[in-house]
Amino acid sequence: MSKPVPPEKLAQAGAWLAALGVPAILLALLGFLLWRGVPGLSLALFFADTPPLAALRGAPVFDGLWPACLGTLALVALATAIAVPLGVASGIYLAEYATGRAKALLAFAIDLLAGIPSILMGLFGFALILFLRRTVAPDANTGLLLSALCLAVLVLPYVIGTTRLALENLPLQLRLTGASLGLSPGRTVRHLLLPAALPGIFSGVMLAVGRAAEDTAVILMTGVVANAGAPASLTGKYEALPFHIYYLAAEHQSPAELTQAFAAALVLLALTGLMFLAARVLQTRLERQWTTEPTP
Amino acid sequence: MPRGNITPSLLLFATLVSALSVLAIFGFLLWFAAPVFTGETLSSLLSWQWRPQQGEFGILPMLAGSLCLAGSAMLLAYPLGLGLCCFMHGLGPTWAARPLLGIVRGMTSVPTVVYGLVSAFLLIPLIRAGFSGSGFSWLAAGLTLAMLILPTIVLILDSQFRTIHAQTQLTAAALGFTPAQQVLRLTLPLSTRGLLVAAALGFGRAIGDTLIPLMLAGNAPLLPHSPLDPLRTLTSHIALVVATDSQSAAYGSLFACGVILFMVSLLVNLALRRLRHE
Amino acid sequence: MKFELSRLTGRLLAAVVCSTLLTGSALAGELDVFAGKKGKIDIAGGTAHIPVMKEAAKRVMQTSREIRISVAAGGSGVGVQKVGEGLVDIGNTGRPLSDEEVAKYGLKSFAFAIDGVAATVHPKNPVGNLTAAQVQDIFAGKIGNWKAVGGRDAAIHLYTRDEASGTREVFWEKLLKKGTIAANANVVASNGAMKSALASDQDAIGYVSIGHIDETIKAPTLDGIAPTQDNARTGKYPIVRKLYMNTKGEPHGLTADFIKYILGPDGKQITAGAGYLPL
Repeated sequence: MSKPVPPEKLAQAGAWLAALGVPAILLALLGFLLWRGVPGLSLALFFADTPPLAALRGAPVFDGLWPACLGTLALVALATAIAVPLGVASGIYLAEYATGRAKALLAFAIDLLAGIPSILMGLFGFALILFLRRTVAPDANTGLLLSALCLAVLVLPYVIGTTRLALENLPLQLRLTGASLGLSPGRTVRHLLLPAALPGIFSGVMLAVGRAAEDTAVILMTGVVANAGAPASLTGKYEALPFHIYYLAAEHQSPAELTQAFAAALVLLALTGLMFLAARVLQTRLERQWTTEPTP
Repeated sequence: MPRGNITPSLLLFATLVSALSVLAIFGFLLWFAAPVFTGETLSSLLSWQWRPQQGEFGILPMLAGSLCLAGSAMLLAYPLGLGLCCFMHGLGPTWAARPLLGIVRGMTSVPTVVYGLVSAFLLIPLIRAGFSGSGFSWLAAGLTLAMLILPTIVLILDSQFRTIHAQTQLTAAALGFTPAQQVLRLTLPLSTRGLLVAAALGFGRAIGDTLIPLMLAGNAPLLPHSPLDPLRTLTSHIALVVATDSQSAAYGSLFACGVILFMVSLLVNLALRRLRHE
Repeated sequence: MKFELSRLTGRLLAAVVCSTLLTGSALAGELDVFAGKKGKIDIAGGTAHIPVMKEAAKRVMQTSREIRISVAAGGSGVGVQKVGEGLVDIGNTGRPLSDEEVAKYGLKSFAFAIDGVAATVHPKNPVGNLTAAQVQDIFAGKIGNWKAVGGRDAAIHLYTRDEASGTREVFWEKLLKKGTIAANANVVASNGAMKSALASDQDAIGYVSIGHIDETIKAPTLDGIAPTQDNARTGKYPIVRKLYMNTKGEPHGLTADFIKYILGPDGKQITAGAGYLPL
């Protein structure tokens, strides 16, 4: 057996290494996070010295995570509300209607958008405000809405890309079925292709939600602050979980504050993880629905 | 969702809005960077010295820093991602594929700032203890960034592998291929497009990330000579300098950095497009 | 009750005492002006100011729920820029404004505290005194090992602040005499971040506002003079600066009330509690 190791074996060894290594690293990360963060988990983490029930009714909370949690939720809801309709519509158009040079050009613009670093969205938002102030709206200011808008642009390509890919990857039979049933292209899209592509589209939305919740660079430049209380208006400054963690990681003035950072990281991870799981559950349910629908 | 037909013109409008936003961003960056790109400040911009107090606004160290960091993260993450995908599509046991994909999917939900936080208090002290230096370094940021971009690479490759796999299933069976042979001899060679997309998007994600270098790379504006040296990327430079007075050359240099970052993503996309059409 | 608390740090004690007193009538008077008012104040800039701003904001917001005060960091550069552009109501700086800045934006400054800036190291660092020349050489990168200044045989890890920092500007002008700061120094974004970076790196040296010095970091004496607020007040310790709040033009409404509150007896107490000398 003096033959060299066959490439299959080498590849197999590499694959095993990756398959064992990555989960191991993740486990170490998670373990460390739990070890440092769990001791900080308590009601006081969220509400500090404000009674929780009072806080839920709107009493101001200082030194707790509550305002940051609300800020992040508001941010994600707004950004998704802007990005999803726009993104799904664009994805459908690119996959089903656009042709020739126009399609190539539009698709290229979207690809380009996907490649733009998030900090540039933030810079854009910041510049936009400076521009607006000098021209038409002297009172324009950085705040929740601006951040949500920039985040929406950031996650838009995720929604567009997955929608388009999900539609384009559908089997040809489905399109032929539509045609053979005498459906117009529009109806084929609506009644056959879209339902089939829904799981794919939802995976895009899932990516978008996760990305919007965790991004720090955009909000860093468009209105997030360390202390602002719960978000009160669309134009106001706000707190957000990822920024809070970033801020405390660098700024913690005591071991207790650092523990708070780790606990906040656990909360954010739980939040993004929960959204992720919810999207997955939804996705599998829709998949099942689609596969059982044709046989009444 | 509307009942009945979907109006193509409405869809076109949405697409135009999406596509034009990229132009708007570029336009704004260019508009604000224009004063720097014209006149004598350009030569000061394209130098290796960042000393605003002495009137030197060189951003070359940041450009080099961005390329070094993104390149090294890709070198780590790409083979790892490829290995994972091959493992899930034939090189590993079938039962392991689903949980592994689940884990990688789950990784997409790990916030960047969480990676940054854990690395700052786990990896940095390890590097400080194990090697010389403060720990805030290219190495720390590169390792962490690799984890961050891994799911991007894996998920794109996986979906590509899946499609190709389904298409070649019969051929592979007819040829009597083992699953390992199928993934290495059929799926992989046929997945060129996915391989390139994964590489391009992974690189784009790596060069565009702000938080990992900002939190871990030490942010010293100079060219690193070893993995243990600190570096500053274009992205963290923007985050650090956005502070400065809005008329000075330091401020203009921000937008110049922005234009460069934009150009990098433009180049990546152009290259990708070319390769796809060949 | 207060005796049990005595093992906590002085600052914490001060904060606790302050908030206990808050409910008392003695201080309620000053906050009365905010009662029933509504509106918002956005504050950004100098990072040395943050503990003071946060505490004052908390008290004001507890007085009236209709008032919202946001406090952001960024450094003195951010303070000037944001208040100048009208993006915030109060822009804090840890350095006096330049004539250029005042002229360009029409800013008005309110100094409320004296603070010093000191070179600081990890508490386990055996170096107890540095001369100004040594500090200059260390930051220029000419001295690269702690052994050269009487410490252990280990490479010096330099930490500095970004260019927006007023602390950096004061340190650079008054202690480094505008000398170079080695380009390989780690850059951190605030006084708080500098403190926590130094507290976790045994071979580190950086510089912070004196108000930020506590048991987690150590400030070696400079030419034999301890960088304390007392020495800063008497002028024995030379690296001092004032902390300013700046507004675009004359402040009015809530902003004016808030500045007045910071400058009043209550604000002075908060300022002292945060480790600064109120003016």
